[in-house]
Amino acid sequence: MIPVAFGPVILGAVFLTSCQTMPETYAPPVQRQPFENFRPYRELLLVDLGTLDADSHIVRDIPKDAQGSWRWTGQHPAVQVSLRSVMGVTYVIDFSLADATLKDTGPVTITFDVNGHELGAARYSAPGPYHFENAVPSEWVEAGKQTIVGASIDKMWVSPTDGVKLGFILTHLGLRQEEKDSSQSDAQTSQSDAKK
Amino acid sequence: MMQAVTALLGAVLTVAACYALGTLLLDRLAIVLRRAEQFPLSFVLGASCLHLAVFAILTFHVAYWPVLVTLLVLSIAAVAWKRAWRLRGPAKRRLNSGMDPLSMQLKIVWSVIFALFTAIYLATAWAPEMSPDGSGYHLGFVARYLREHGFVFIPNNFYSSLSEGVELLFIPAFAIGRHSAAALVHLGFFISCCLAIFAYGRRIGKPWAGAAGSLFFYLSPVVGIDGSSAYIDLGVAAIVFGCFYFLEIWDSGDSPAALVPVGLLAGYAFAAKYTAFTILPFALLWIALKARKWKPVVYVAALSLVMAGPWVAKNVVYTGNPAAPFLNSTFRNPYVHVLFEQEYAQLMSRYAVENKWTLPLEVTIRGDKTTGVIGPLFLLTPLALLSLRFREGRKVLLCGLFVLAPYLLNVGTRFLIPALPFFSLALAMALANAPPLLVLLLVFHAWASWPSSHPKFASSATWRIWRVPYKEALRKIPPDRFLRTYDSGYVVARMVEEHVPKGERVLAFGGIPDAYTTREILVSFQSAFNQWLSDTMNVAWIADWQPTVLRSLKFPARRLRRIRVTQMGKGDFDHQWQIHEVRFYSKGMELTRKPEWRLTASPNPWEIQLAFDNNEATRWRSWQAAAPGMHVDVDFGSPVDVDEIDIETSMDDFPHVQLRAETADESGAWMKIDGEVQTSARKVKTNLRRAATNEMHLRGVNYLLIADGDYGAADFHGDPEIWGLKPIAKAAGSTLYEVVPPEAPAK
Repeated sequence: MIPVAFGPVILGAVFLTSCQTMPETYAPPVQRQPFENFRPYRELLLVDLGTLDADSHIVRDIPKDAQGSWRWTGQHPAVQVSLRSVMGVTYVIDFSLADATLKDTGPVTITFDVNGHELGAARYSAPGPYHFENAVPSEWVEAGKQTIVGASIDKMWVSPTDGVKLGFILTHLGLRQEEKDSSQSDAQTSQSDAKK
Repeated sequence: MMQAVTALLGAVLTVAACYALGTLLLDRLAIVLRRAEQFPLSFVLGASCLHLAVFAILTFHVAYWPVLVTLLVLSIAAVAWKRAWRLRGPAKRRLNSGMDPLSMQLKIVWSVIFALFTAIYLATAWAPEMSPDGSGYHLGFVARYLREHGFVFIPNNFYSSLSEGVELLFIPAFAIGRHSAAALVHLGFFISCCLAIFAYGRRIGKPWAGAAGSLFFYLSPVVGIDGSSAYIDLGVAAIVFGCFYFLEIWDSGDSPAALVPVGLLAGYAFAAKYTAFTILPFALLWIALKARKWKPVVYVAALSLVMAGPWVAKNVVYTGNPAAPFLNSTFRNPYVHVLFEQEYAQLMSRYAVENKWTLPLEVTIRGDKTTGVIGPLFLLTPLALLSLRFREGRKVLLCGLFVLAPYLLNVGTRFLIPALPFFSLALAMALANAPPLLVLLLVFHAWASWPSSHPKFASSATWRIWRVPYKEALRKIPPDRFLRTYDSGYVVARMVEEHVPKGERVLAFGGIPDAYTTREILVSFQSAFNQWLSDTMNVAWIADWQPTVLRSLKFPARRLRRIRVTQMGKGDFDHQWQIHEVRFYSKGMELTRKPEWRLTASPNPWEIQLAFDNNEATRWRSWQAAAPGMHVDVDFGSPVDVDEIDIETSMDDFPHVQLRAETADESGAWMKIDGEVQTSARKVKTNLRRAATNEMHLRGVNYLLIADGDYGAADFHGDPEIWGLKPIAKAAGSTLYEVVPPEAPAK
């Protein structure tokens, strides 16, 4: 029989050796340089039609499963995004008007809306890329809920060959949100909400 | 198809090697087993021996596949050479003596049900592995050890400190047949446990009890899915029941040497899972009562150390904590925070079950909170008390209670598995005089456990086998396609593998299947380092966690060399003391931090530099409830003038904090410095988000994985640029960011 009865003694020794001494003291580490003069936090709730993720935000009149960085719209394209707070919200859209469609439709008017509220409208008579942005009144939106961000074109182009109707070429549509304090996020979360 | 073949080959060779080693040892000890006992008991005993051999291989860093294959082949060859598998002498004469003959009806009922469910389990285990913990840490470590050819210290994942007695058997199988081979080895344990219960019934003269008890256990839904995955619970169950079985053999007087397997398996139970150690006190109690001598008790206890000792030693060497990752308040170490252990223990003892009295219904029928069900049949478990009328019933139930004892530490359904063989057997024993009733119960249990049946009383979200993936098992559907369809974690793991360069580490707030990526994933809660780094990220966007509070300790100017800030308040369970920065002043001028300063703290001295790094995003935290006497010390190296200490902290610092300054006299005794404490608001000066990701970068972590459902995901996704993050890939609802290092200042 092997002298296994020494086992408990060995285990006791192992436990004793594991009673660690506390560590050495430490020198101050390399000092970090503060990141000052930074721009405010801007939450981009902008749906990029060039990503597959865009499909999950589409509400209407934008084809899903499309490839490329832009998509043709229907007459009332809209996406939905979720806001964490209601302050400092800006409507943002990037779109283009095609020469081929504008020739047939003539100048078009595009209306921009948030949750069904008309934010603005503009008339476009020349082809090319366009950007529109405008502040959104805080009472139009609600924190923690989906916000519908849309646009509408007054005249659709209709294909003479197959009858397909096209609105405009959309690349980005959504919201941007800027923090109030230049040093802090406005997307502040209270301690009671935060998981430690 | 080749993958299917190698998976099966890896598993078969490993199981055969276990069986061979067990047979050799039993032959050497001249322990007489009946035919029905031969496979399950030899296998489980041999598994303990093989695990030790693999432990040695990993320790010496020679875990190359030729070494592992040679080990398996030599084990099998040795038994062939010794002809130890052949029953000789008394063993042959007693081949089936003491075993009640089986009736034809019993043979048919048992064989049909066993065969049907074995086919289901085989297909499930053989299919590509996608179980949460199996493809997560169990096989994650197996793959890592194989890549490194041996044990490596993994300080950033506390799971690596758990004993891995079953996982070590996955090592040779994985080296040959990858993930599915490991799951098939676990299935080997599962089958052996079922066969052992069946054989036990015959040994005690209650074949119907053995047959029904084994199937009650074998068919249970959570047991089925667990046993068909690369988990370890069925390994634990087989080891524990094997230990009990050898005790029975010793008790019967057949083989005095059976105490050797008892000791080895009791130790192996600990080596497989800490909570299974309770089989050892049960065995020692039984031996003490039966033998009425202390020598066999000490002998068995000592033998158990042969199996358990290496795991304790490994933890001592790596972490300094023999019980790692537990007992961190006793064996303090830099790898696991005390508070984390407390919170984790609380979580595991509760899951989402608020009322413990609902546990019986939760684990038998519902199963969505505790992850899995053992089946409605086990609502009849109280009937098992009827088995107390038999001596064997009393033994089985008592052992079951010992094994069940740690269950309330973790109320997940699968944590019932090690004790389930005993209660299945006792329940069947209670009704053993009514075979028709047992058959009826078996049919009901089989129906409730059948993959395609969806009993209305069961939750549709519970963890169980829902379909039989035979096409996937035979690789008629490519594994990659199958896993991409059914396992979003796999998709994320492959994305990480594709986009993160070799050797880089990824910080994540949730786990992913580590077994499918070679990159190290630092999951936020899995180590002290991960935890404070994640805390730094959260500080950057949660207002209450930001250093907007200043506590100033002002006192008449003192010339001193050592100074201490002591905290005297008492916090609740999760009320920590925390400091973003400590600064010292003399006449309004901050003392410049010098390399000769020496810093320490109690508790958590290892992270004290976070309070002296000039980074507002990082903070030192006590990581345990605030208590009087906690302190931060600075030795300036030489006497300096100080009249003010500023402590920058946050709103979530615990509410009853009381600070005082102390200084040490020449004898080293600490004396209070009289002064006053003022609390005021302060403004954050840095871009905390950028400071947080820069800290990641400085710590060698350049990638961040954020799932859409993660806490704070919207903040990262909303403005990655200001975080200093660049999104580089997105899949299955997770975005992979790369940290953009800040530009070096122009020269």
